[in-house]
Amino acid sequence: MTDPVRILGFVNHIAPSPDIEEAIDRAFAWGVDVIVAQGTGSDWGPYWLGSGDQPSANQAANVEPYVRAALRHGVPFVFSFGIAGGDPHLDTCLAAFDELCRRNGWAPRVGVIRSEIAPETLSAAVTDGPPVLPASTDAGLATPLTAADVAEAERIVALIGPEPVMAALDQGVDGVITGRALDIGLFMALPMLRGLPTAIAAHAGKMLECGGLALEPGDSGRCIWASLDDTGFTVRSPHVGAAPSARSLVSHTFYERSHPTWEENPGGALDLSRATYAERDRGHGTEVRCEGAVWHEAPYTVLMEGARREGFRAVSLLGVREPALLAQARSWTDAAERAVAEAPRFADAVREGRLRLQTRIFGLDAVLGDLEPNPAITGHEAGVLVDVVADTEELAKEAAYYAFIRLFIGPYPGRKTTAGNAAAPLMPVVVPVADVFSFSIYHLLPLEDPVAPFPTTVVTFPRATTPIREEVSADAAV
Amino acid sequence: MQLYDAATIIRSKNAGPFAVTVDLFFDAETYPLARSSTLLTPAGVAAAYGVTEDQVKGVWWDDRIHAAKVSVVRWSSSTDPFCADLFGAHLHTPLAQAELV
Repeated sequence: MTDPVRILGFVNHIAPSPDIEEAIDRAFAWGVDVIVAQGTGSDWGPYWLGSGDQPSANQAANVEPYVRAALRHGVPFVFSFGIAGGDPHLDTCLAAFDELCRRNGWAPRVGVIRSEIAPETLSAAVTDGPPVLPASTDAGLATPLTAADVAEAERIVALIGPEPVMAALDQGVDGVITGRALDIGLFMALPMLRGLPTAIAAHAGKMLECGGLALEPGDSGRCIWASLDDTGFTVRSPHVGAAPSARSLVSHTFYERSHPTWEENPGGALDLSRATYAERDRGHGTEVRCEGAVWHEAPYTVLMEGARREGFRAVSLLGVREPALLAQARSWTDAAERAVAEAPRFADAVREGRLRLQTRIFGLDAVLGDLEPNPAITGHEAGVLVDVVADTEELAKEAAYYAFIRLFIGPYPGRKTTAGNAAAPLMPVVVPVADVFSFSIYHLLPLEDPVAPFPTTVVTFPRATTPIREEVSADAAV
Repeated sequence: MQLYDAATIIRSKNAGPFAVTVDLFFDAETYPLARSSTLLTPAGVAAAYGVTEDQVKGVWWDDRIHAAKVSVVRWSSSTDPFCADLFGAHLHTPLAQAELV
């Protein structure tokens, strides 16, 4: 009989709820062996991975109450950081974590695991190893991956599995921080290290990975607690006013997944088709006992995500309140699109695919596009977004401005408003947005050793800052 | 009755960058109606989304919690520069507005 492993789970890119200190104390009164939170994902699309930027989620600030509790009680924390989870994202978060530790006077020893894959490593795998196939047939991506795909990608990360985290925890660190990682893998690491069955570790990970979202009412700013043993696990809510229920947990197994009971993971598939969820009254709140998960072993692969630059986006926005124009908005925007496409200055770029322009009419079909059943604007106002993607910022801005002007002054049948067709809410009238990326790699990399490509570096935080040397040029004293 | 009016919760979200999944929850009274509908079948879902049936990854039921799950390959995903709904949070709409028959 293995000792139970008790996990406190939350989501670190969501700010914690106001009662978080009290909830953490309640969880520790039950006992906690590890605090785990995921903070990476591809749900935000490929922009972040390609650009090295991240949503301003302040993940370090979000983990503060949890790290304080972990250090006070001497239990490890495990976090993935940085949304896209490449090196620049992780480094941004680690710098914020330095600051957090400095401010609190903490000095934790942390195992840092990077998830970015060097292009040369992957090229070698593509050339010499077994085929690197797309993770799903949905993607319509190159199959199998080629060296050219690797070369074109701006950045490539792997969703590391539980094994590198287990290896880090095995070194007796105060915590583990990773880049892009398999969410449930972070939760699986300590239970697997302590000898609990993989199926139970994975099932619990699935229940805990979104924190309090699996409770009733769901709120991912809240935390969630579970105790895992040899035969299953028991889920509780550390928060007053939220509770797990069989319904809330089963619902959560559906969340953001194609299949309700089957999920392929590194080294195997988690099968919940025979899982059971039994509510029990503890006298002061409900707990739910979860059992019956099955793990089907499979060859070990990690999912890789790679982003390729597709161009630069610039946008412009116009507001329409004029009834005569609302009645013919689409033909008016079509005329502006045509004007750009037919302008000699843009002809080559359009023909070569280096310039793409769309006008989206909010109030008509901007959300659903061709699937919108309403053929006309039914409201009293509408917004038009001029959306341009071109290979350079300059070209994108020029085309967006050209389209804006056509929309603003272009004639249309029955026009009375000859000084201007629409309201302009933004200055600059054309807003340069950012580079645009696509997921060009969404493939499974076979690995013989799940740990070797993702070594742990043990670092004490806050890390020593390197003083910036003042560069004095040779002729400065002249 | 539209599916939107029959469901108590209807939530759509990406399931990875290339698929959208719609989770539908019903009360005990409307669940049998949904369970036996032609809308919530691969053919019905394909028609609602204007895709071919092979693009519907599946329709599943959970009688314990009166829920259904529908998954469809995304016709425009977050990897398309002009994707209009990055998280897929409004992609339930074509299904929700269809008649539950």
